[in-house]
Amino acid sequence: MNRRNTRLRREYLYRKSLEGKERILYEKKRMIKEALQEGKPIPTELRNEEAELRHQIDLEDESTAVPRTHIDDEYANASESDPKILITTSRNPSAPLTQFVKELKFVFPNAQRMNRGGQVIKEIIETCRAHDFTDVILVHEHRGVPDGITISHLPFGPTAYFGLLNVVTRHDIKDKKAIGTMSEAYPHLILNKFSTKLGERTANILKHLFPVPKPDTKRIITFANESDYISFRHHIYEKHGGPKSIELKEVGPRFEMRLYKITLGTLDQDEAQTEWVIRPYMNTTKKRKFLGD
Amino acid sequence: MGMATSTKEPGLEALKRLKSTKAPEWLTPNPSLSQTARAASEHLFASLKPFTPKSPFEKLLTQGFDAEQIWQQIDLQSHPLMSTLRREVKRFEKNPDEISKLKKVQKVGHKGSEGVKGVVEEESDGLDEGLNGFDEELDEDEEEEEEEEKEEEERESEGEEEGEEGREGGIEDAFLKIKELEGFLEDGEAMEYGLKKKGDGLGKKSKKSKGSEEEEEEDDDDEEDDELGAFGLGDDEDDDQNADKMASYDDFFGSNKKKTSKRKSEVNVRSEDLDMGDEQEDSDMGDGQEDSDMGDEQEDSDMGDDQEDDGAFENKQETLSTHEKELQKLRSQIELMEKEDLEQKDWTMQGEVTAEKRPVNSALEVDLEFDHNVRPAPVITEEVTVALEEIIKERILKGQYDDVQKAPRLPSVAPREIKELDENKSKKGLAEVYEEEYVQQTNLNSAPLSFKDEQKKEASMLFKKLCLKLDALSHFHFAPKPVIEDMSIQANVPALAMEEVKSLLHLWLSQTQLCWLLRKFLLAKVTLRKKLSLHRQKGRGGELIRRGNSKDKLIEGISMTRSDRIEQSQHKDH
Repeated sequence: MNRRNTRLRREYLYRKSLEGKERILYEKKRMIKEALQEGKPIPTELRNEEAELRHQIDLEDESTAVPRTHIDDEYANASESDPKILITTSRNPSAPLTQFVKELKFVFPNAQRMNRGGQVIKEIIETCRAHDFTDVILVHEHRGVPDGITISHLPFGPTAYFGLLNVVTRHDIKDKKAIGTMSEAYPHLILNKFSTKLGERTANILKHLFPVPKPDTKRIITFANESDYISFRHHIYEKHGGPKSIELKEVGPRFEMRLYKITLGTLDQDEAQTEWVIRPYMNTTKKRKFLGD
Repeated sequence: MGMATSTKEPGLEALKRLKSTKAPEWLTPNPSLSQTARAASEHLFASLKPFTPKSPFEKLLTQGFDAEQIWQQIDLQSHPLMSTLRREVKRFEKNPDEISKLKKVQKVGHKGSEGVKGVVEEESDGLDEGLNGFDEELDEDEEEEEEEEKEEEERESEGEEEGEEGREGGIEDAFLKIKELEGFLEDGEAMEYGLKKKGDGLGKKSKKSKGSEEEEEEDDDDEEDDELGAFGLGDDEDDDQNADKMASYDDFFGSNKKKTSKRKSEVNVRSEDLDMGDEQEDSDMGDGQEDSDMGDEQEDSDMGDDQEDDGAFENKQETLSTHEKELQKLRSQIELMEKEDLEQKDWTMQGEVTAEKRPVNSALEVDLEFDHNVRPAPVITEEVTVALEEIIKERILKGQYDDVQKAPRLPSVAPREIKELDENKSKKGLAEVYEEEYVQQTNLNSAPLSFKDEQKKEASMLFKKLCLKLDALSHFHFAPKPVIEDMSIQANVPALAMEEVKSLLHLWLSQTQLCWLLRKFLLAKVTLRKKLSLHRQKGRGGELIRRGNSKDKLIEGISMTRSDRIEQSQHKDH
């Protein structure tokens, strides 16, 4: 197990190092393809390599045409099997936080909740790897109000750190009969306005927390991005009548998430490279939108 | 009864007349009497005026005034006078020596004033009578009584004054002036004595100066007033000095009335009228008295000196123009600002400040301004929720979800061939169809190949060749060429190509058959012929004699034909 891991890691690092060259090659091929399609003359810098590249292009198929980055490798096998999630908290959680975590367990299908106790993060991650978990979710709080969530994809995968705002839990709504129980079917996902590369990446991370649903489920989970604040909503819909009338009933907690860091390693790897980190002190931060729109 | 020389003084005349009237005449209202009474009171008032520096009236106003009003005026004059006189009496009680000194001075000052005395005495008598008459004149008894009391006191004071004047005796012409001199002397002495209480030096000087001035005054009547005026000023100065030395509460925080009266005395001091001069003299005397009796009683005259000072200051204040005031303001402001600049700045203006450098909890009170460079968290309002739900509904209707797509799995089972039912008429006849079926059943080799199978075959052929080459490259040991069985349709082959059971007869028959067949196939003919010709020997009965292993050869030959065919095909291929 250990050796396998080290080997995989080495491969991963090697592929990462090759990426640069691959990207250049891909770019050249793409330019030639475009030129051929549009009927324009091939750009002069590619004249020498043009013939060979064209030959390669002909031989390419769909999967080889797109350059694969190490990032994609993380989720390469994700679609083959359903994700297995472990949810836990920071140390000494308060009662409201434990309630929130229980709710989250129902939100993500195929998820398990674990008491934190006195475990170290490294231990948690190792046990998860051993038991073939795909993701670990850690929830932090401030005086009973959940204020942070960390999603770590397991084999070596990326870790995304979010801050939570405007959290409304199901427990806040006192009338239990009004809410009823939460459906546990595999939900449909809506990821709205994740248009930049970083947005796509975040969408990917969030997407792969859920398994492949049946096409006819009534349960909808929405991650809607509005100027870098992602709104999480959980609905169940009903179709009354025929013509395009849909009634949404909100179920489950609702909160806003704000991404502040993505690292290319698991939770316990402090020295892992940061893919992206928020920089609020820059003068232009206010004007820019990192996740899209 | 007897009228004294009344041509000069109507007032005196009036007094005398009053005195002369008999008691019953007073009972009936008599206008002439009232006129005389008024005149007499006016005269008295005027004569007392010099001793009351603060009275607001220069002259007793009697024409057209009520008895009550006249009385009020007199009252105003007499009140301060009473207190002054009381003080003087007390002083003389304490120091009886002063009286004698007074007398001496007067005697020194005024020589040959005896003539005047008599006149004065007469006048004083007349005055006394007048005073008595005056008392009787008044309508109301109470007022009369009060008047009487006041008048008595006045009489006393007057008597003193007159007595002093009487001692002098002097020039008839300068009667009033002598009187003035007397008053002046009195004042000077009072000043002296006042000064003497604290320090002798000044007093003597003033005495001397006064003495010299008095001598001068005897000579020149004209200069008197001026000198008196000067002396008055001098007195004022002395007064000021005294004021500085003996400052009391009253001097600073006295009533406004006193101040105003003091002002008037100042005005009196600085004017140059004769009358004013008289008043001035008297006022000076009054001031002198004040000086001497500081702190005895709160009197209007006490405030004199300090009020003078204040008055002087106030005058200076009044003279400040608006511009000067503004300048003053500016100056004070500038001072403030300079002071601020010199001190250390407030902690909020000091740049980077840690908690140690500023007072406790001071940051809570100050309104700190921050530039927030982060977009604030979105407030989830109804509208936001509705908008979100709209988006969700749209997506649901379209069926556009961003679910995870499952990766396409490689098929473990080959896809079944779907036999399509062809509508067209079959080109083969039914018999041919049955033929093919039978052949399929019996001989697998000649199975009709479907399109897919052909492709498969081609693929497998290619693959076999490839493997052959790879093996040739990679294997160490020689491996022979694999036999590739080629299935090709040969048209001329008879339908029935069966494995034959080999008997002699069969062989013989087959030989002929074979011969016949072989003739057709060029290649195999020659060889077989050769082989067969060797063995073709007819024996007895025409039967073929086999030599050796003809059977085998035949069989071989027969079998060879098949393999030959294969070889032929092989050769063809190569």
